[in-house]
Amino acid sequence: MESQIKHIHLQLVSKQTTCTALVQEKLDLLKQNTHNTVNSLLDTTALDLAKKVDAKIANGEEIGLLEGIPFGIKDVYMVQGTYTTASSDLLKKYKSAYTATAIQKLLDAGAIPLVKENCDSFGHGSSSENTIFGAVKNANNPNLVSGGSSGGSAVNVAKDYTVFSIGGDTGGSVRQPAGYNNIYGLKPSYGRISRYGLMAYASSTDCVGPLAKSIEDIRIVLNIMSGKDVKDQTSYASQEIAEDSVTNSSTIKTIGYFKNFINSDAINDDVKTAFLSTIEKIKAKGIAVKELDFFEADTLVSTYYTLAMAETASNLSRLDGTNYGNRIEDKNLKETYAVTRSENFSEETKRRIVGGNQVLSQGFSDAIYLKGLALRDQISESFDKDFKEVDIILSPVTPASPPKIGDSLKDPLAMYLSDAYTVGFSLAQVPTLTIPKGTVTGLQISAAKKNDEKVLQFANFLNDIL
Amino acid sequence: MSKTMTVDILSSIKGATPSEAVNQLFDVIKNAHSNSNNNPNTNVNNNAVSLNDLRDDIVLNSSETEKQIIIENFPREKNGFLVVTKVIED
Repeated sequence: MESQIKHIHLQLVSKQTTCTALVQEKLDLLKQNTHNTVNSLLDTTALDLAKKVDAKIANGEEIGLLEGIPFGIKDVYMVQGTYTTASSDLLKKYKSAYTATAIQKLLDAGAIPLVKENCDSFGHGSSSENTIFGAVKNANNPNLVSGGSSGGSAVNVAKDYTVFSIGGDTGGSVRQPAGYNNIYGLKPSYGRISRYGLMAYASSTDCVGPLAKSIEDIRIVLNIMSGKDVKDQTSYASQEIAEDSVTNSSTIKTIGYFKNFINSDAINDDVKTAFLSTIEKIKAKGIAVKELDFFEADTLVSTYYTLAMAETASNLSRLDGTNYGNRIEDKNLKETYAVTRSENFSEETKRRIVGGNQVLSQGFSDAIYLKGLALRDQISESFDKDFKEVDIILSPVTPASPPKIGDSLKDPLAMYLSDAYTVGFSLAQVPTLTIPKGTVTGLQISAAKKNDEKVLQFANFLNDIL
Repeated sequence: MSKTMTVDILSSIKGATPSEAVNQLFDVIKNAHSNSNNNPNTNVNNNAVSLNDLRDDIVLNSSETEKQIIIENFPREKNGFLVVTKVIED
């Protein structure tokens, strides 16, 4: 699909439509939608901003490419003056005091935020059912989950309620809902985009990620948001990715895939057959394909969740109703903390906080947490070795189609294991893009850390042959 | 004197107990083979900032809007002070 951003930009500058009409149309769609994608609408500010864009165009002034383009924001990003709930009871009345760096860069470029989007509470989930705003329904079949945790963002893009949305990906939370709703979703290299103002889940893998309907729109938004930020000292300076560079995939000679992902008992036959058929099409184009050894799915999932739970237990310890949050008073401050947290966190969030405190406790940290850290190093080393032999690693996004709404909540272990194909790339901090082709829930394209450009190049190549 | 703290106290969550699903994940880690021992030289995900690249140690004043929203977010405030019930004594 062509770039929606460029298409709308042309419509605006050629006066085929006004920005106000465009924003109003999207706001109406969001307001009427029955997929539970909206936590709060930013209608007043969006319409004010749209009027300013229209005034500029009427005055004959030039507008930037993103100026007037409506977008959505997962409700874990700080946007000054807006409710930022993380889809939780604890923060349902919390207003952001400042704006996240990534979002500020989009605002500076003139993009118009329409909506704070529904998601799993604090990013804790793979189905967008762990939310106080109602389960997000899949864009293609409302009986199925949207995926998560950035489910509202993926559905808004898939249904054209937003032109693009900004999700957050800690263990697959952009890539998996992108796959479930058949759109593009990128987890950039860790550190390429500042995390400042993204509510922390697991800080060592949290990434800001765009969701859109074309590779070109992903490229445009990625370029705007990237860059070093003094407010996130893990961020790094990166080169802009040029439009003409992503249409040239001639440097990609060899790709690989993890054979244990495809030979697993857990993979659905349709996904396996479609994936192997894609591999044959790639070989037919003269690209060498290597089968790679990788860690077992249960090791990947367990390593990821051990570290993510430890980090989220620490990150969420600040949420006690003192400085902010829905405080519930009790007989003393300690009891106030406990009652506030017990009543306001969801079951899944509590499960992860308790798990995190378990692994960080004396007597457990050596056997579990420190071993988890060591396993992560081995996983990263394995990627380093693989990327010396192949330019790209291709994998399915998920082993199966989206589950029915309600099923994931009944079986948390099954939900954790469904993340088997996404978490490894998070632990290794490598750039990974979901494209809505190749299997029923798409394909993931990964390259070595800081090689985000190569991911987009191969995505364009696959788009042409699939 | 050592004092054992249960996960409900550590987590400040009343009645919290370890979950069976999560314990199964931890069992996988306990039984996994790892050949690395957190040697900093093998830590390929080292994102630490260089000493030469630390941000300036300066105080940045928040904007008036930011200060106002922070005050609005306080669950309870009286005469400019945070109001809490009886403080922790142990």
